[in-house]
Amino acid sequence: MRIWAKACWIMSSDPGDSTTTKPLLALDGVYTNYGKIRILRDVSMSVGRGEVVALLGLNGAGKTTTLRSILGLTPPRAGTVRYDGHDVTGWPAYKIARLGVGYVPEGRRMFKDLSTLENLQLAENARGGEWTIARVFEHLPKLNELRGRKSGRLSGGEQEMLAIGRALVSNPRLLLVDEPSQGLGPLIVEDVYRILTELKKTGHSILLVEQNALLALRIADRAYVLDSGRVVHSGPAAELAADQNRIRTLMGLEIKV
Amino acid sequence: MIEHIGPQLFNGLVLGAFYAIVALGLSLIMNLTGTINMAHGSFMTLAGYLAFTMVSRGTSFWFALIAAPLIAVIVGVIVERTLVRPLYKREPFYSLLMTFGLSLMAEEIYRLIWGPNGVPFSPPHALDGAASLGFMVFPTFRIFIVVVLIVAIVALALFLTRTRFGLRLRAAVQDSEMIAALGTNTQVLYAVNFGLGIFLAGIAGVLAAGMLGLSPTSGNNLLMPAFVTVIIGGMGSLFGSIVGGLLIGIAISLTTLFIPAASEVSMYILMAVVLMVRPRGLFGEEGIFG
Repeated sequence: MRIWAKACWIMSSDPGDSTTTKPLLALDGVYTNYGKIRILRDVSMSVGRGEVVALLGLNGAGKTTTLRSILGLTPPRAGTVRYDGHDVTGWPAYKIARLGVGYVPEGRRMFKDLSTLENLQLAENARGGEWTIARVFEHLPKLNELRGRKSGRLSGGEQEMLAIGRALVSNPRLLLVDEPSQGLGPLIVEDVYRILTELKKTGHSILLVEQNALLALRIADRAYVLDSGRVVHSGPAAELAADQNRIRTLMGLEIKV
Repeated sequence: MIEHIGPQLFNGLVLGAFYAIVALGLSLIMNLTGTINMAHGSFMTLAGYLAFTMVSRGTSFWFALIAAPLIAVIVGVIVERTLVRPLYKREPFYSLLMTFGLSLMAEEIYRLIWGPNGVPFSPPHALDGAASLGFMVFPTFRIFIVVVLIVAIVALALFLTRTRFGLRLRAAVQDSEMIAALGTNTQVLYAVNFGLGIFLAGIAGVLAAGMLGLSPTSGNNLLMPAFVTVIIGGMGSLFGSIVGGLLIGIAISLTTLFIPAASEVSMYILMAVVLMVRPRGLFGEEGIFG
């Protein structure tokens, strides 16, 4: 399985990429537990520079746990996580975040008693870069209008925008995005995915967790499918999107056409 | 009897300000890490004794008022880093037991160093006497106490609402994991927050030593009312701690005036009444500073 994942990455990586041959993020044989319960088993995957990778699977397949393992929120019991040339396995989350890993968590996780502006200020750091709070407001003018409002009083769509903006303010090279469409109406989902597409165009690497497979496959370059904590499929996104029977077998009833 | 109500209300205010500031420190620590710091009173006593030793060796009271709490903060942060921190992942019961044990040890240590009986600690001569506030005359030292405690509370509020660090503290109270995922070292937040709570306790400890006396148990005597303050004010609300402290102080002092025998029990009656009407305490649902 591990070899297959690596082979996939080699096949899909751009041969013209001269900056480096190594992916931005690489998991190798990761095992992660919650307490005594094993969630991830021998998970290996990679995200290249500027690549959008979809991480699909049923509820409880281990998608969120994979993101938490990468960020050090639930450190792996075995295996390695490499990011941008660093072996970050076992690092505290704040150090991994400071290397340029942005997190857009499931359910948004707003600091609901803090204002929109304060939520963004929390993510500002010494790294600097193109993304400032002013720039986020420029790109997401709705947030500027709501800058003084407590984030707990924003709508679900506004909160999702704010969660993305908050991650951007830290100027990440890799975005970990968890279920951005969850609980949002179709029009808002379109908005959110338009922003993600823009981020892709500007060279951000994104690891995108979704239950709505077809939605994620629309913007992804490659996809992994998890089942019971194992990688059961990996390959180009377009290939998987074209083979709906395959999605149906891999993801059971969760398919939304 | 009636002519005593004014002065007694003022005494209640002073007492209440003490409860409030001790309760604020307890709340800060409890809100962020879930630690119920039973050793909080011991840090008050420590600052009081340190100030006593400094002043009796010729240091000025004003210097001791700042230096003694700062030394208590250093001790506090060392205790937090070495003894309390390993217990954050466990249930609050563990840190409660740990800090309770620490308070018992501290009491014995103070007994060994400064003796089992109270020591005399008097405020500087500049604060002797009484001052008229126009409508009534009050002891200068008590007016000074109220002013210092108000300044401390306002400074804390400004720190929490106007600084980057304060913003991160308020965010970490809501979701400390998410604040780490945004690149903040939460261990630094925990340590500074603990130190902040101890600093408030230390200031109160030095001032209380000059007003209520100084003995190995003097800080612990203020701890119980401070816990009742937190419960009345509402867990999680710093504003509630301030209101709760003042209410208890006034309740105790007025009961002392009319039914002296019931003064000790008055705060528990107040707590029972508040909890019957609002089980979360007065401001238990609010966020920190609104």
